[in-house]
Order: sequence, then C-alpha cells, then structure tokens
Amino acid sequence: MLGMWRRLAELVRRRQLDRELDDEVAFHLQMLEEQFRSRGMSEAEAKAAARREFGGIAQAQETYRDGRGLPWLETSARDVRYALRGLRRSPGFTAAAVLSLALGIGANTAIFSPFHALLLRLLPVARPEELVTLYQTGGWLKGYSSYPLYQEVAKRTDLFSGVLARSGAAKVRFRDWPGARENFTQREFVTGNYFRVLGVRPALGRLFTEDDTRAPGGPPLAVLSYDAWRNRYGANPAVLGSTVEVEEKPLTVIGVAAPGFRGIQVELRPEVWVPITMAEVSFQSTHSGWLQIVARVRPEIPRKQLQSAVNILMRQHLEATNPTSYNAAFRKRALEQRLQVRDAGLGLSTLREEFAKPLRVLMVAVGLVLLLACANVANLLLARGAARRRETALRFSLGATRLRLVRQALTESLLLAAAGAAFGIGLGVWGTSVILRFLPEQVGDPLSARPQPAVLAFTLAVSVFSVLLFGLAPALCSTAVQPAAGLRSETSGAAGTPVLRRTLVVAQIAFSVVLVVMAGLFGRSLFELRSVDLGFRNQNVVAVQFDFPREWFHRDIRVPYKQLAEKLQAMPGVVSVSYGFPGPFQMGSVSATIRVPGSERTAAEPAEVEMGQVAPRYFETIGTPLVLGREFDRNDMSSPRSVAVVNEAFVRAFLPAEAHPDRRFLSFDDSKRQGGELTWIVGVVRDIRHYGIQQAPKPTVYLPVDQGRNFGLHTLLVRTALPPMALLPSLYGVAPGVALRSFGTIRRHVDDSIFEQRLLATLSGFFGVLALLLAAVGLYGIVAYGTAGRTGEIGIRIALGARRGQVLWMILRDSLALVSIGLALGLLASMAAAHAVGSILFGVKPSDPATFVFTALALAFTGLAAAFVPARRAASIDPMRALRHE
Amino acid sequence: MSTRESKPDILQGTLDLMVLRTLGTMGPQHGFGLAQRIQQISGGLLDLNQGTLYPALLRLEHRGWVRSRWGVSDNNRKAKFYEITAAGRRQTDRESEDWARMVGIMDRFLDLAPEE
Repeated sequence: MLGMWRRLAELVRRRQLDRELDDEVAFHLQMLEEQFRSRGMSEAEAKAAARREFGGIAQAQETYRDGRGLPWLETSARDVRYALRGLRRSPGFTAAAVLSLALGIGANTAIFSPFHALLLRLLPVARPEELVTLYQTGGWLKGYSSYPLYQEVAKRTDLFSGVLARSGAAKVRFRDWPGARENFTQREFVTGNYFRVLGVRPALGRLFTEDDTRAPGGPPLAVLSYDAWRNRYGANPAVLGSTVEVEEKPLTVIGVAAPGFRGIQVELRPEVWVPITMAEVSFQSTHSGWLQIVARVRPEIPRKQLQSAVNILMRQHLEATNPTSYNAAFRKRALEQRLQVRDAGLGLSTLREEFAKPLRVLMVAVGLVLLLACANVANLLLARGAARRRETALRFSLGATRLRLVRQALTESLLLAAAGAAFGIGLGVWGTSVILRFLPEQVGDPLSARPQPAVLAFTLAVSVFSVLLFGLAPALCSTAVQPAAGLRSETSGAAGTPVLRRTLVVAQIAFSVVLVVMAGLFGRSLFELRSVDLGFRNQNVVAVQFDFPREWFHRDIRVPYKQLAEKLQAMPGVVSVSYGFPGPFQMGSVSATIRVPGSERTAAEPAEVEMGQVAPRYFETIGTPLVLGREFDRNDMSSPRSVAVVNEAFVRAFLPAEAHPDRRFLSFDDSKRQGGELTWIVGVVRDIRHYGIQQAPKPTVYLPVDQGRNFGLHTLLVRTALPPMALLPSLYGVAPGVALRSFGTIRRHVDDSIFEQRLLATLSGFFGVLALLLAAVGLYGIVAYGTAGRTGEIGIRIALGARRGQVLWMILRDSLALVSIGLALGLLASMAAAHAVGSILFGVKPSDPATFVFTALALAFTGLAAAFVPARRAASIDPMRALRHE
Repeated sequence: MSTRESKPDILQGTLDLMVLRTLGTMGPQHGFGLAQRIQQISGGLLDLNQGTLYPALLRLEHRGWVRSRWGVSDNNRKAKFYEITAAGRRQTDRESEDWARMVGIMDRFLDLAPEE
C-alpha cells in the first residue's frame, strides 16, 4: 500500500524526478571523466571512455522511467490522450458515434428503471422469496378475499409459517394532529401479524402484534411509515403516543416502521397502517372481498403441493359458505372462485399485471435499439480503421505491437462509450420521467425517475457490453494489416467492402424491420382503440369526486350531491351538471340478477346485469345518444313508480325482437318466473363502455339516483364552456367539510385506461423512426465508402462508354441486395415477434398484412434513398479527374 | 502492478544482491562510489554497465530495502546517497542463504561423476 502511494507521488513529481536522474547521471559521468583524466587521458578521450563505462545513457533513463510510477496508468493516460486527439480531429464521426450510443444506452436506462422497480426489485423484508399471495380469481372482485377465508388460510400452519392480510391502500382524509388542516393520506388496514410475518422492525416505538387485532372494533392505533414520519413530522420522536385523525377517527401512534419499508404494493405507498379490526366492514360476510392475503410458505413445502392443498381448502370453504339454498346462478358463480398461489417477493401490484408484458416488449425493443446503435458505431469504426490503414501500417513498421494498437483502439471505443453513457444516463432519466407521465395519476409516483444504484449498475454493464460489441471486432480488423502492403496501397486497396461491414448493415436493416413492424402494430392497435365508440361524445366533461364528513354518510349522501349539483349548475360557463354511479371510466361496479318478463333469456333462470344510478340529464351531460324513449327527469326521482333506462346491450340480450323495448319492464324480484314487482323501462341509450375500451359493453340497467338504496361513491359530471381547470378553484371551497378527492376530464380517465397502448405506440413509433434513421446512416456509410474505393474503376467504365444510369444501377443493385437480405431476415424475425405480442394488440392481427407491406416499403424506400445519394455522386464523376486521381 | 518485478531475471537478481551486500558493508554511498566498489570487489572481472545501477537502485527503493537522500560528495558536489534499510538487511540475509543453497545444488551437478 505504501509502495502504491509512493508510486502515485512519483507520477505527480514526474518532471522533478527526471531532472534529479539527469543530475545523478551527470555527476556519475563527471566522476568517471575525472578518474580517466587523472590516468592521463585527454579531455575528449576521458569523455568517450566515461560514456563507454557508463553504458547507454538513454536506455538507463528509459528503464528507470519505466520502473517508476505506475507504467500501466501512464500508458493508459497516453492512450486516452491519443484517442482524444483522434476524436477531436473527426468531430463528425465522434458526434455520430456518441449520439448513437447515447440513444441506445439512454433508451435502455429509461425502460430498465420502471422494469427494475416493477419486475426485479425484491421487497425490503426478511426472505422475500418465501412470500406468496393467494390471489382470488373467478369471482366478482379479482385478487380480493373475505375475512372468513383469510381465517381459514391462516389456520394452515402446516403450510405457512405466517399468513397476513391487508386491505388495499386507500386514499383517505387525514389530520396530522387533532385540529390540523385536513389532507389526504394512503391508509391500509393490516392484520396484527403483518409486520412480524414480513420481518419488518420498528424504527421507533412498537409495531402491531396479534393482540392488537383480536376482535372487531379496536384498538384505535396507528403505525406510521418512515417516510410519513420524516415528511409530516420532521422525524420528531415525540410523535409516539400522539393522536392522528384518519377519516375523523382519532388514533394513537404507537410506532414507526423501518426506513425503506413502504408497504407491499409496488405502486402505492401507505403512510398509515391501522389494525384490521378498525375497519367498518362485515367481518362475518364471506361474500365481501376486501383483503389481499400474503403468506410466508414453509421452506419445505413445494409449490405444486401448496397449490393443490390450497385448492382443497378453497373448495371446502366455498361448499360450506354457499349452501344449495342459494340462488342457482349466484351459487354457480361463487363456486367458480379459485385461490391462485402467486409469488409475492416482488410485492403485489395491479400495475404489474397490465404493464409487465408491455414493459418486457419495450425492454426487448430497446435491446434491439442498442444492438442497432452498436452496429452503427462498429461500422463507423471500421470505416475509420480502413481510412487509417496507412497510419496503422506505419506504426507497425515503427515497432508497435498489435496488442498496443488493439489497446489503443479499445481505449477510443471506451471513451466513446463513456461519453455515450454520460449522455445516456441523462437521456434515460428524462425518458423515465416521460414514461411515468403516461402512467395514471399516483400510480407512477413510487416508480421514481431518480436513478437507483441498480439502474446505474445496469447502465454501466450495458455500456461495457456495448464496447465489447462494437469495439472489439473493429479493433481486431483494423489492426490486421500487413505493414508493407498497407503502406503501399492507396486509400483502401480493396475494391469491394469487407464482409463484416456488409453483415453489420444487413443486421441493422433486419433489426429496424422488427422495430418498424412493432411500431406499425402498436400504432394500429392504438388507432383501433381510439376508434371504438365509447358511447359518449363529451370527453371534456369534468368528472369530480368528493369526500364528505362521516356523519353525512349516516344521512342520505344523495342530498348533498343534489345540493352540490345545483350549486355548480349556477356557476358561470357551466352548461350542464349531473351525477351518478359509477361515472364513465370510474372505479366501482354493482351487479344484480333480474328477470325480464317475456324474454326467453330469463325464462328458465334469472340473468345478471350491471347496474348504474344516474341523476337527471346524465346522458345529456356526457353526450350519450338516446336510442328510444327518454332519460330520467325530476319527476322520476320522487315518483313512487319504479323506472329504468337500459342500454342497447340489454335490448340485444333480453328483447332482441322488440320494436319498443321502452314500453316493456323488468323485475329485480328474481325468485318468480314472471317477475314480482315491475320496473318500467322508459328509455334505451347507446352502450357506454364504463369499464374500459377493451371491455365489451354488458347489459346494463340504470335507475334514478334517488330511487332505492345508494350504490356507492357518485361521480359529479360537469360540462363546461370554460377550460376545465377554471372549475378547480370553486370546487375546492364548494362546501364546508367537503374535500375534493379527484378531478379530471373523462378524456384523461380514458387515456389512463389505455396508458400501456399509448406508451407502446409512442415509444415503439419513436424507436421505429430511430431504427430507420440508424439503418439509413449505416447503408449510406457503406455505399459511400464502397464507391470511394471504386473511383478509379467507375472512371474507367465511364471513359469506356458506360452510361451514368448503368453506373448508378450497378451501385444501387449492390445496396438493393443488402436491403433485400435484411428485409427477408427482418420480416421473418418480425413474424415471431408479432406473434409474441399478439395478446397485447387490440383490433389488429399479429400478421396484419398492411403493417408488413408498409414496413417493407418504408425500409426499401429508406434504403434506396440512403444509397442513392452516394451512388449518384459516384455516377456523376468526371472520368478524367477519376483517372488522374488513380 | 508492473509485470517486470514479478519476473525475476537471474542477472537482475544477482545485481540486486551485489548492491545490497555492498551497501550493507559500506554505509551511505552515491551511485558512482557504489559502482567503483562493485568493480573493485569483483576484481574487474565483472563487465558492469554502470548505468544499469540506477534502475536497480530505484527497484530496491520501491521495495523499501534501500533509501536515498541528497547530500554533498567528498569533492563538494551535490550527489544522491543510498543507504540500506533494516528490511534491506533482512532481505540480504534471505537472498544470501538462497544463493548459497543454489550454489550448493549447482556444485552437486558439477561434481557428478560419469556413471558406469
């Protein structure tokens, strides 16, 4: 270690040490001279004898310098200086190479960041790989289970060493202390063993235990996340024992969870954990699914055995909780429910279910972009190497070893990659933030664009990998020069172009084909999605959700809605206001089983329909055309006569042959064949795709909002002539105690619902264009280089009477061959790739002929255009000049 | 670090030992004096390129066996003086033993009588 420091010091004091050595040698020579003179030699003789005796001065100095300092470092520094000089001399090449690499590396960094967060990063808990979630499928609410089912699973200590349950994180009203300003937080109900099973320790105070969740109703405790403790309380330990208010309920803070632990759902970060027994739900109900079950599997239990054990457990549970006395349709659906064992080490995520496949596709796409960029740079380097043949040959003849030259070439590549990586990280961070902007509100927040260490490590690995990819072959190729031949030959010597460069161009074209096909497919897919009739025209209608004081819920929540709607109606610029459940593209769904007297469909057994609750002018406000009859008016709201509006899907399903379904009726009393109490259908509306563009409309029955029980959180819909944002200030203070929960145009909700497709189409479009550009540059380069080497030959041909057109064709024919091979290979690869992404396409087949034809034409056109420029230049050469040049 | 050091050259090794032994018996000495002394001990039988002493001294200094400082020579001129360190003395002993053992082995080979 000491030696190392000494050597570093020597490196710094290089010049002074050189002088000292000179002094030492001079002293030595002088002493020798004096010695020889004292033996009677003349001055000149003594000098010569001293030099003889001393030996080679230069060699001694050279050996001395080599032994000093850190030779490898000095050599590297020399290589870096040499490479920098070379790069500065050709700014065009440097810019092209760095830009290519920056785009390639940047694209990889940008996609890898969310990829890592969603698909690779393990939860910061003890042994995350042992965690599984029991995912409920086949029922009404995907992923969520009832409390009794959780208790059944928790009994199985033979399978699990611990089973916890959590409600999803929910946005709720919160006060940091009693009397503080109300704001929103993410609250999560958890079982008492939550932290113990996960192996999360407290940063402060204590966490929940099983004793905290023995019986429903209490205790009023809260555990804060470390982030909440820091952001809301400035990490003040006095928070322990203090009171916070969640949905107006005072809770005592007993502890703060370990730093870094942000719950077990990737895209949501709860700030407050509350004992599950504080939830106001029916703990006995086996049909309300509100819990996600996560369990720690005993290491000795194989997954396969686990799944079959869980299957048996689930079957027994369903048989026991759904007696045969139940409605047959309901029971049938209930018994179809399953519990799937899924890995939970990466955390739970609803985002992952939709986004994993698009992310994987994008990861492959950016991999291709990187390969393309590397091929591009390799091509540039090869061209540069060819142009430097004489220099290389000269350096060989002067005694440089091949190793040294390869090392120098690789140093240059490394510098290019370093510059590319530096710009690439910048581009990547920006790119990630662009991607996150596509994600629905809040979901993207935890997937921060700030580069994580793992992401930076990935970028570094990608950069090093790319150096090996683009740098090694050119370094070896351009140093494989026969010194004598290299010096003798003119610019390149070879008439054609090396096989390696042609292969690279073919590969570039093939990769671009794949990327362009993907862009075409995703672009068309998005176009198809956008063309779907959503059933309402006014996408600029603002959808607003409010949160109300708790006591309002005990009264009829619909009263304040009516008052708010009237208040908003009076505001300037507001055209119409309505409200209902669930608003278009809003969460929530209620279903019911009905009979339609006279319909064959419900003759044998009742059928299930979706339910909606709407206020007057609902369909007018969102712009849904009325097909028949009328929508609700004020009289319907207070009238004792039960009325309903149905959609076209309803008519198709139940009254297909009826000319006037608006004069028929339906019944919610499904026990009687011909229906009990009747509900009059007063109107038929166009199908509204409430639940997403890709969901086919289901038969739906809308009831007047004031009739019957309330279904859930209503959405207020405001159609305004002013910009939507102008509404915001008046909404904030609309009524005391009322908090604005969410606000946005329906268009935004629609956009959010197809964010994957928008992201895929946008990014793949960008990559497609980029790929075409890179391929064009590659082809241009190789043609330009090839024709430059054939200047003499072309001159002779023209002098001998070849027409320009013939020469042009001769050069283009060559490029056409490259483009054709690349196209053929690329189209084959594209078919496989398109097949792989088939499941995330909408309205377009993976083998969509239009996309493939368009891609082939785009590639052929780009290729020919890129080749045409240098080909024309070559063909318009002056034969005399060309021959003189030779 | 440097690959040169890890490749002991037989000649290089002997020069290092000569320098160490000489410095060990003489006390601080400049490069010229050291060269003279080595020539003298060898009885002029050694064809020493005196310039090669300096890289050797640098090598020994890097290993901590020799230290150097600037001083004034007998004829009042600035010169760099080299001196053996404690580690250098230990190294001298080790290398001397190695050398003696090597010589012993070589002797046995040289003494081999032709087998009947």
